[in-house]
Amino acid sequence: MDLLDALAVFAEEPAPTHERLRELLGLSCTPDAATFAELFAFSLYPYASVYLGAEGKLGGVARDRVAGFFRALGATPPAEPDHLTVLLSAYARLRRDAPAAHAADALLHEHVLSWLPLYLSRVRALAPAPYPQWADLLARTLMADARQAGDLSRRCLHLRTAPTLADPRVDGQDAFIAGMLAPVCAGMVLTGADLRRAARDLQVGVRVGERRFVLTSLFAQCPAALLRWLAAHTHTTIDAWRPWAAVAPDTTRWWTTRATTTRAHLLDLADHVAHADPATTGAGP
Amino acid sequence: MTVTGDDDVRGGSDLAPTVDVDLDALNARVSAARAATEARGETFYPGPSRVHLAMFPPKERWNDWVEYDAAAWPRKSERRFMLVPTTCFNCEAACGLLAYVDRDSLQVRKFEGNPEAPGSRGRNCAKGPATINQVTDPDRILHPLRRAGERGGGRWERVSWDEALDDIAARIRTALVGERRDEIVYHVGRPGELGFAEEVLAAWGVDGHNSHTNVCSSGARAGFQFWCGQDRPSPDHANADVILLISSHLETGHYFNPHAQRIMEARANGAKLIVMDVRLSNTATHATHWLAPWPGSEAAICLAIANHLIQTDGYDREFVRRWWNWEEYLRAEHPDRAPTFAVFEEILATLYAGYTFEFAAAESGIDAASLRAVADDVAGAGTRLSTHNWRSAAAGNEGGWQVARTLFLLNALLGAVAVPGGFYPNGWHKVSPKTPVNPEHPAVWNELALPLEYPLAMYELSFLLPHFLAEGRGRIDTYFTRVYNPVWTNPDGFSWIEALTDTDKVGCHIALTPTWNETAYFADYVLPMGHSSERHDIVSYEQYDGQWIGFRQPVVRAARQRLGETITDTRQTNPGQVWEENEFWIELTWRIDPDGSLGIRQHYEAPDRPGEKLTVDDYYGWVFAHGVPGLPEAAAAEGLTPLEYMRHYGGFEVTRGVGQIHEQIVPDVELDDVAVTELGRVYSRAPAPHVSYSTGASPDPDDEGRRAAGVLVDGVVRRGFPTPSGRLEFWSSTLAAWGWPEYALPTYIRSHVHPERLEDGEVPLISTFRLPVQIHTRGSNAKWLNELAHTNPLWIHPSHARQLDIATGDLVRVETHAGHYVVKAWVTEGIRPGVVACSHHMGRWKPNRETEGNDAPRPRMQTSDVTLDHDGDNWQLGGRAPHRAGVTGDADQRRIWWSDIGVHQNMTFPVHPDPISGQHCWHQAVRIRRAGPSDAYGDVVADTARMREIYRQWLSKTRSATLVSPTGERRPHWLKRPLRPQREAWTIPTESAGVTSDDQ
Repeated sequence: MDLLDALAVFAEEPAPTHERLRELLGLSCTPDAATFAELFAFSLYPYASVYLGAEGKLGGVARDRVAGFFRALGATPPAEPDHLTVLLSAYARLRRDAPAAHAADALLHEHVLSWLPLYLSRVRALAPAPYPQWADLLARTLMADARQAGDLSRRCLHLRTAPTLADPRVDGQDAFIAGMLAPVCAGMVLTGADLRRAARDLQVGVRVGERRFVLTSLFAQCPAALLRWLAAHTHTTIDAWRPWAAVAPDTTRWWTTRATTTRAHLLDLADHVAHADPATTGAGP
Repeated sequence: MTVTGDDDVRGGSDLAPTVDVDLDALNARVSAARAATEARGETFYPGPSRVHLAMFPPKERWNDWVEYDAAAWPRKSERRFMLVPTTCFNCEAACGLLAYVDRDSLQVRKFEGNPEAPGSRGRNCAKGPATINQVTDPDRILHPLRRAGERGGGRWERVSWDEALDDIAARIRTALVGERRDEIVYHVGRPGELGFAEEVLAAWGVDGHNSHTNVCSSGARAGFQFWCGQDRPSPDHANADVILLISSHLETGHYFNPHAQRIMEARANGAKLIVMDVRLSNTATHATHWLAPWPGSEAAICLAIANHLIQTDGYDREFVRRWWNWEEYLRAEHPDRAPTFAVFEEILATLYAGYTFEFAAAESGIDAASLRAVADDVAGAGTRLSTHNWRSAAAGNEGGWQVARTLFLLNALLGAVAVPGGFYPNGWHKVSPKTPVNPEHPAVWNELALPLEYPLAMYELSFLLPHFLAEGRGRIDTYFTRVYNPVWTNPDGFSWIEALTDTDKVGCHIALTPTWNETAYFADYVLPMGHSSERHDIVSYEQYDGQWIGFRQPVVRAARQRLGETITDTRQTNPGQVWEENEFWIELTWRIDPDGSLGIRQHYEAPDRPGEKLTVDDYYGWVFAHGVPGLPEAAAAEGLTPLEYMRHYGGFEVTRGVGQIHEQIVPDVELDDVAVTELGRVYSRAPAPHVSYSTGASPDPDDEGRRAAGVLVDGVVRRGFPTPSGRLEFWSSTLAAWGWPEYALPTYIRSHVHPERLEDGEVPLISTFRLPVQIHTRGSNAKWLNELAHTNPLWIHPSHARQLDIATGDLVRVETHAGHYVVKAWVTEGIRPGVVACSHHMGRWKPNRETEGNDAPRPRMQTSDVTLDHDGDNWQLGGRAPHRAGVTGDADQRRIWWSDIGVHQNMTFPVHPDPISGQHCWHQAVRIRRAGPSDAYGDVVADTARMREIYRQWLSKTRSATLVSPTGERRPHWLKRPLRPQREAWTIPTESAGVTSDDQ
């Protein structure tokens, strides 16, 4: 469990501690502050609530649930209970304490494995060194741990209560775009970098701004093509969960299903849009 | 660096190993490293501690930060900013601010919190962001002004800085050459800096420092100083189990924001909060126990709790034995008894036996059972008891200094001193950097500041200045008021007007202020100084168990320097001709002594360029490079100079977890030719070590000139406390020797508003409380703050109101012993029955004079035009014009929806100087009645002859140094003093010896 503690440090702002731990872990380099900020402050926010909350934002019911877990253990919730470092530290602590094994299993299942495999997969795909290596090591460590844990087959509460992706034809475009940016609704993680890549793939202009603004502006330019691009993007989720099927089967199934459903939904929307306005179909080569 | 997003998408979903690693082996390696580290007593992994500030703009992007313009909503309009740190100046907490400087216009658009500020940690109260209101205030003073008619006549003309500087410098030079050094006085309200001004005064050779301390914190300072040699509390609230506040400290007061966030952390962790306050303050609403005692009875409650600890053996016997000066007490007060700890405990058990819960209940009006419950909670805190008192009861009552002294007694009994969750002497949490300016302190003693009647006062008797001048004790040639407004802030403001309008008493009055105020109207020069984003200062205050330093800087200047410009004078970047004081003082000093013949100029020459004028970059560059441990190394690690580091981040934490400095063993290198007294005080000839913190008071050397280096505790020389004994002074040899032996122990002094001392029909008026969103004298131009709080009704309990047939909104007349004012009533259960309260913040005014020119004052935001009349000694403010919206370029001024801006009450208060601490005892004995037909809202009436009479009554309570000084000196030399004149100046002049206060 010391290994988990050490890995948890890397989701915190770089400090002198990092160099010593980097060496121990065999990571290729020590992250600098700018790399850290770009990854954790602007691209892949290391908070469970972002990936499990209905709004895809920090805080809210998802964070309250994590805080409730700490309260249930008789502890005062930390200021940011769903931060990755906090979760991993708490898990490592519980795992060290044999009588708390059940609590450790619950934390792992409810608040860690319910989102982290997808998150780490995106880190591996998008971040510069040493973070892919770090994400790989963390995923392997958790997977090894999960194999030894108790029964993790039940579906966690976050996922049981997750809303589905809105239909813009019924609920309006705002609700649809909000859902696309909430991983638990859309079944995928869309970072700012993903959207920039979409614009590049589709050969359309990208407006500088926060993700909702960028996504809205992309839809305004080539809705059908973008919907197809997004449908294809669901593969990131399906690929991310594939290795976890044995250790967290229900969670893996849930995310895979959600991504598959979204893909179908997006393709249906694309057809609908193309039918309504054929001119919007063909951006890109 | 960018996160991959274009065509460099890595694979990685299948957990294909990017490193070939054996997890078990890796885990074993980390575990081994952890074990080895922890075996050395070090922390391997500190736990998640740096995850909370992720929502602030990351500092790597502060040079070019992009965000949408909120005002353009719903359009998405991008704005690019440089984020430049500075330090808030709107109270003494010195919270970090980040100025958002528009990269296109180079104007400041807003202020947010600075996450790099160690004390405030990115969090601010309303006053911080409201700095933008002050910066953009359409009524602010933008140019130097000189009065054009009689003083106070309201006519002004614009002058150049050169004209003002030459005139003022010539006056000061003439006074210095003529050896009239006590005629130069600098009177400071909000200091907000670490001693730059004191250095200037010392360089000039004048004992001219006059602070606002005696209308603020002298009472509390005295209570703490006599105990531990440091004059402020530094409670470690965050780690406390029980927090005891005699104040509304969660929402107001010194350092309230840095403290409040830590108090709330403790509350979240289960700490209990005990609040003593006559009012149901915002703080009291968070309390586990809210006690609303009779004003002035707080010390009785503290002593009842102390007695409970003593009688139940609930105190830390070992701490008391090791660190209290019990042996000195026994030898002095019980010479017939063996000086053993057992004897002391036997006596201690009797000393406070009379302070039962029943006694405290009778004094305070709070039932004994509630007091016992509070005492049980305090007892349960162990060493994790954090306590705080600063103004409140200590500033309200005669003898209020004993409130702080009895409060500290609880910490001292529990051993809750310099331990996690306890009380720290403030200096240990305050960086005290060396500077390049080191003049000797003056060879003169200013009797107008610290007169002989007050040898033990915690700093200058500044609020008595008009009376001293009226008595002919001296005159002032050149009088600076600096962010200070005595006419409005101090009691007895009409006497201040009498003094300031008499050019025989005050030759030239220079108001250094960013905004108009009631005192500036009576100035000869009004010189505009910058707000917090327009000036340089360094700050360091006790706010948690650590030491930090913060930097205030002109943010536009810093932004333009980042862009490569060379800025040599802050006026180049400030609005209009607004300056900053430090450059002003340097320039003024050079003009006082242009050729260096007075020996003054050389103090303000650049350290590395003799003969050239010191710049602010020279000064702060030197301080940060030589005076702040660890900062040069931290800066170098980022490839910055120390000054660049501070300009970029605005704050630096020197150390955290200061611990028990008193327990530190004095190393041999500091012990040379040692002498040890019978009581264990250790003196040494070795020079004092340089330390980063403030060492507090200065215990006297021994008769052979050795410095006090430590104290012998169980055979080991430890640093101890900066008191004469080196220990915590339960019994104060200073109080005993300087004429007040009856108060040498922590005790209870009945207040001047004790029921026994009130006339029939009189009730106490609590006038000291602040409004959380207001600034003492500079809030009238902050429009956001004024919308939040803009009036000051009289709090009165329903049962009390019924007796007087008063309802909310009724006009009432509040009659003090020397005047009255008319205000609206607010009937509320949030105050103790039989006590009334009125905040001092409101009722700003401007004399309705004929004005001339564009530069005449016309503040509109929160200020009323009034008639200011007097018939001999009878003064009156009245005829207030209804408050109205101003007509300026600021659209918000047309949106002012309120018309009631409160009433100025302090002018009706006579001075009440505590005979020991010198604190003005703010509570007033008043009569409340419904306003009559001739009364109008906002009337303020006072009789200055009656004011002088009451001043003399209180002066007669003093015991002059001429009668009680055991050393022939004016004041105990070890006590703190902002300027410390050379030793010969401390000797009582022969002509004063034996003169009593009645004679003077």
